[in-house]
Amino acid sequence: MELWRSAANPWGQEVLIGISWDLMWVALVGGLAFVVAHAVWAKWLAPHSSAATGGGAAIAGLPAKIMRHATSERVFHWIMSAAMLVLLITAFAPVMGLQFAWVTIHWVAGLVLTATILYHIVHATFWQDFWAMWVNGKDIKAGLAELNHMVGRNGTEVPKAAKYPIDHKLFHHGAAVSGLTAIVTGIFMMLRLETPFWAANPYLLSDSAWGVMYVVHGVAGVALISLVIAHIYFAIRPDKWWITKSMIFGYITPEKYAENFDRSLWVIPGVAPQEEESVPAGVGASEIGSESTGGGPASEVGGQD
Amino acid sequence: MALIGQDISPPDLRAKITGRAKYAEDFRADGMVFAKLLASPMPHCRVIRIDASAALAMEGVVGILTADEVPQSEGGEQCLTNHPLYEGEAILAVAAVSETIAADAIERIRVDFEPLPFILNPLDGVRPGSPDGRPEGNTQVARDWVSIKWTEEDFANAPEGSMPMPEGEGKFDTEWMVGDVAAGFAEADLILDETIVHQSVTHHPMEPRSAMAYWQNGKLYIHTSTQSLVRTQQALANQLDLELDDVVMIGEFCGGGFGSKISGSIIQQVPALFSRKINRPVMLRITRAEENYLGRARPGMQARVRIGFRADGRITAIDLAALGDGGPYARGDQNGGANTASLTYTPPNMRFRGLGVRTNTPPKAAQRGPGGAQIIGMLEPLMDKAARELGLDRLGLRRLNAPDANVAYGPNGSTLTSVFVKEAIDKGRDLFEWDERIARSGQMNGSKRTGIGVGVSPFAAGSRGFDGLLVIRTDGKLQVQQGLGNLGTHSIADTARAAADVLGLEWDDVEVVWGDTSRHLPWSSVQAGSQTTHAHTRANHAAGLDAKEKLQSIAAMDLGGRPEDYETSAGRVYRRSNPSQGMTLSRAATRAIELGGRYSGYELNEDLNAMTTASATALAGQGLVAAARDNFGGEGGLQSWVVGFAEVELDTETGKVDVVHYTAITDCGVVVHPRNLGAQIYGGSFQGMGIAMSQKWVFDPVWGVSFAKRLYTARPPGILDVPMDVQWAAVEIPDPQSPVGAKGIGEPCVGAGSAALTSAIADALEGKCLCRTPLTADVLLAEIEGRVPAYGPLDLHV
Amino acid sequence: MAVIRDMIPAFELFQPTSADGAIELLIRYGEDGWVLGGGMDSFDWWKERIKRPTAVVDLANVDELKGVRVTADGVEIGAMTTLTEIATHPELLANYGVLTDAASHIATPQIRNRGTIAGNLVQDTRCWYYRGGWPCYRAGGNTCYASAPTAMNREHAIMGTSRCVAVSPSDSASALIVLDAQFVIQSARGDRVVDAEDFFMRPSVDIERMTVLKPGELLTAIRIPSTWAGATFYYEKVEDRKSWDFALMSVASAMRISGGVIQDLRMAANGAAPFPVRLEDSEAILRGQSPSDQLGLQAGEAAVRNAQPLRHNDYKIPLMRNLVRRAVRGTEV
Repeated sequence: MELWRSAANPWGQEVLIGISWDLMWVALVGGLAFVVAHAVWAKWLAPHSSAATGGGAAIAGLPAKIMRHATSERVFHWIMSAAMLVLLITAFAPVMGLQFAWVTIHWVAGLVLTATILYHIVHATFWQDFWAMWVNGKDIKAGLAELNHMVGRNGTEVPKAAKYPIDHKLFHHGAAVSGLTAIVTGIFMMLRLETPFWAANPYLLSDSAWGVMYVVHGVAGVALISLVIAHIYFAIRPDKWWITKSMIFGYITPEKYAENFDRSLWVIPGVAPQEEESVPAGVGASEIGSESTGGGPASEVGGQD
Repeated sequence: MALIGQDISPPDLRAKITGRAKYAEDFRADGMVFAKLLASPMPHCRVIRIDASAALAMEGVVGILTADEVPQSEGGEQCLTNHPLYEGEAILAVAAVSETIAADAIERIRVDFEPLPFILNPLDGVRPGSPDGRPEGNTQVARDWVSIKWTEEDFANAPEGSMPMPEGEGKFDTEWMVGDVAAGFAEADLILDETIVHQSVTHHPMEPRSAMAYWQNGKLYIHTSTQSLVRTQQALANQLDLELDDVVMIGEFCGGGFGSKISGSIIQQVPALFSRKINRPVMLRITRAEENYLGRARPGMQARVRIGFRADGRITAIDLAALGDGGPYARGDQNGGANTASLTYTPPNMRFRGLGVRTNTPPKAAQRGPGGAQIIGMLEPLMDKAARELGLDRLGLRRLNAPDANVAYGPNGSTLTSVFVKEAIDKGRDLFEWDERIARSGQMNGSKRTGIGVGVSPFAAGSRGFDGLLVIRTDGKLQVQQGLGNLGTHSIADTARAAADVLGLEWDDVEVVWGDTSRHLPWSSVQAGSQTTHAHTRANHAAGLDAKEKLQSIAAMDLGGRPEDYETSAGRVYRRSNPSQGMTLSRAATRAIELGGRYSGYELNEDLNAMTTASATALAGQGLVAAARDNFGGEGGLQSWVVGFAEVELDTETGKVDVVHYTAITDCGVVVHPRNLGAQIYGGSFQGMGIAMSQKWVFDPVWGVSFAKRLYTARPPGILDVPMDVQWAAVEIPDPQSPVGAKGIGEPCVGAGSAALTSAIADALEGKCLCRTPLTADVLLAEIEGRVPAYGPLDLHV
Repeated sequence: MAVIRDMIPAFELFQPTSADGAIELLIRYGEDGWVLGGGMDSFDWWKERIKRPTAVVDLANVDELKGVRVTADGVEIGAMTTLTEIATHPELLANYGVLTDAASHIATPQIRNRGTIAGNLVQDTRCWYYRGGWPCYRAGGNTCYASAPTAMNREHAIMGTSRCVAVSPSDSASALIVLDAQFVIQSARGDRVVDAEDFFMRPSVDIERMTVLKPGELLTAIRIPSTWAGATFYYEKVEDRKSWDFALMSVASAMRISGGVIQDLRMAANGAAPFPVRLEDSEAILRGQSPSDQLGLQAGEAAVRNAQPLRHNDYKIPLMRNLVRRAVRGTEV
């Protein structure tokens, strides 16, 4: 298996051209294998959890709908996902043998993605809780606890999560790094197009610089294949459907809030943060889930932005 | 009837047509291996490391020859180098039992290069801050390397689209002035100031320069493709530090050279050295791609010229500045071109400044009419422009400025033995029907516009002082030893006629010996510069006179009377007053052998070249041996002329040019072989037309590598590109300073063909000189349509 | 590895006698296989040592692919029919003159004696960057050298480009398009038939191929319906020299003219784009009109309306315009 492709430039010097398409298959197969493995594990091997504590006291004082993602965030997410899927399909379907005019669609979607990401960076930084997505000490402890629990060491307590459990955060970081890498390298590649604003000029960078650019773009791209496969898998899992719905409709139920989240970590406006006893894990608090941050003073009851 | 002036099939024709002729690559020897070259991928680089281990480990690979094993040349060209100065320069050679293995072996060799900055065209090479094509500098003044750069100011002072013409010291490598150009311009009624470029074009002879070599008992035997023969043998012997006797060169047929194989000996060193190293015969077959690289090219030029004209069309001054594309090893043709301009237009005042910039492009060599063909193609349309502006007949303007026999031209007031160009112009005016055709100039035929053009083109046409060597055999045949190469001009046969004519023989009685230096050949000229016809009709005439004198002497001795009483013809030597009293040449030859001494080659003239003496000595005793040097002398140089006339149709909707008619008139002295002369005139003219219309170099400027490296991309003309309606004629006035009166012809025709077209196409563009070659459809259509020009006015290699 | 040229690397030669046999070989050898027609394109690639198939499937003995057959509704030309045979065939000369015109302008007589019609259609582009083995998009790389600001691109495309600016080199393609020809493609799964216009790949769809032929497929026949038999044809090719060269631009047209009016027509050009261009805008202007030079000029303008020249090929715009104009005017070269 090759990792990259190289070729001889006009002077006979070896230069990188791009990733080997073997990596695409590795990412595809790897992603699907993970999905299958997880599904099998979840169905037959995961440790059972006790019945959820719910009802009554747990949800007292909670509004009927807990806002998780504001409209602007959901709109961003879906436009961004559409762009991402178009990018992945236009990037890799032709390699797999589906022939169509993909280049223009690809970079147009790329520009859409870039715009949405720029929006998101600004919005998340200034209008949302910027730190909500960053991994901290609590997350790491919770993650380790979860891992222990998964391998069957019962008795370990998995603390309830903040708005984004560690797996959500890690996914976000992985996707963000891959996405930003693909975007930045992709923008450079736009310089190879002939447009009314600039002339195509492959000599702006050296051969080897372009080669690295293409390899990095490719690595980011194939990484996103795996990430997106896993992400969509979790999003359509029945036990995670409530999270997915929150990215469509904006809210989760108070029951789910009480089951999965630590009120003091994910504070709902108008709801007193209470000490929560830890709940045995396995109730679905681990998640690789939705991307948008939320929470903090901007999350609201009723759903207006 | 004299043989000179008749059409007679040359002796090599049958072999060529039937395919029995053996060229260098057709020879085989026991144990022969094949060599292949590894060429530089970069226009300028240094070899850091060579790892040939994988290649040498291959089954069938026999050896490797590297640059340190060949004669080193300080600053000059080597057959193999570790400092390539152009893409395609040979770095090493590998030999294997088959060519396929040798090629595979080349690919297994890993060479690490350090790329270096490169220069492709001369003007870029003189820009401030530009790199030099060589580490030593970008040109030589006398023998010293210098780096001549022009200043920002020089460039800023040049009008838009013009080449700079900087004044001051140190801007050019050559400068001369005749008269006073400032005064000349002051008296001019019209001054043209033009910038002109001419492409570099590869020679692309039909036969690539393959060579096969082996050694026997310390002697080098080499089969080559070369224009000359004995001179190439000498060149190679010198380069390899061998005695002449230790080099046997066989080159009976050569598929063209056009100047790139005058000796062509550098690449011959490879099989010679390789076969000595590995002790096996080595065949180095050169490929068409390699011909584009090491096969040489005509240097292009970027030039600026100011020409002053009086109202009557007489040129008063020429100020010519030219940059030449010298390639890595040469100076370019601009110096010769300037001399040609001086001769053709006889300006009373002229300044020439030339700069041959070294570039990282394939090496340059003389190509059929070096300098002259370019300058005539470049300047003739300007003569038309002046005529148009002054309201004068364009042909008349040529004639007014053309030289007479008493011309003194160039920086040193060179003189000539004969000049009959005005006669050629007048004859052409008639034969081409100039006055009728010129009336059609500019006429539309549908979308096609007629253009009429003329090109007056001289080139060097002779030399003196070589030797002739003959044997009259006992079978009565005249054996003419020719040290000439057989490059396709048939001079091997044509010049032998001079000897036969002295003796009054039929051609059937003549046998020409050529093509193998072990067959005892005389000292000869190189086959270049169109000199052979003149030089060797003289040399063979001299030898013929020597033979005649000996025949007369033997006859007088045996039959009585004085030698002067005897005449030779029809295979006999006989008394003029009583022809029945005489003897056959066969008998005379037998007598010569019996007499020995000076009659059969044992005593020879002292003024013969050592090569001739050795050859004659080796032939001694085989018959009546005659060997004589051309001592006929002469004052002044030799130039022949071709005036080319063309009628073209330019399709104004497509930019395509049709050459409707071509007439060429030559002044080349006595015509030795009419059909052959026609072939030379047409062949050279068509080559010139190709240079004017289609042939080019194309380089990518970022990578410095060539694209027009095969025949289909280089675009030399094909037979369908040349006009069907053609005619030629000769002025046929003998050169007065040669007993035979013949001058050469190979080269002036190129400029004639090229200029006839550049002139005619400019005429079809209603007088607009685009001042560049080749004039392809894209260039012409952009002009016709008034669109963005295809290329910048100074672009070269595009 | 060092580079050497002009020495064809070794390969195994197969000379099947049937199209099925040839296809079987191509499938077996996959990427290492190569179809050999007349060799005029193949030899150049092999001599450069850039393409190195290990298995060459020579169609010279596949007789079923040779010959011109008059059918019930037109003619069918076998893929391996030589260009000379096409250029001189009486039925084609009589009724499909645009094809014989095109064929007789291809390359040189010697090349036409060996070159096949299929080869002329499926041959690779002649962009000299690509042909030099440079790692451009078409070669699987990630750049186009020919469209760079300083590139040598006088022979490249003025329209239809998508990263690649090479042009289709086929002289017969435009003639077959205006004849409404269909190409028969055979594979292990049987035959499929593709309209001539759709046979040529757009670089936006697959930048590495010039035609829609997939691995394991063989172009076996060209079917020309009688639709345009005996129509008013025009073909003109502009090249640098008078033989040998690929077109700088060529135009082909077929028109049905009656009552002084162009009832219907087809027009196509090559040398403008990476594929032969059907000039539908020009056709629309001309359909139902009386041909005149003025109309021809309009049609020409329409053909080049969206042309985008590169640094050195601006001349192709007036050239294409003028050839369309001449097609309407009916001027022969």
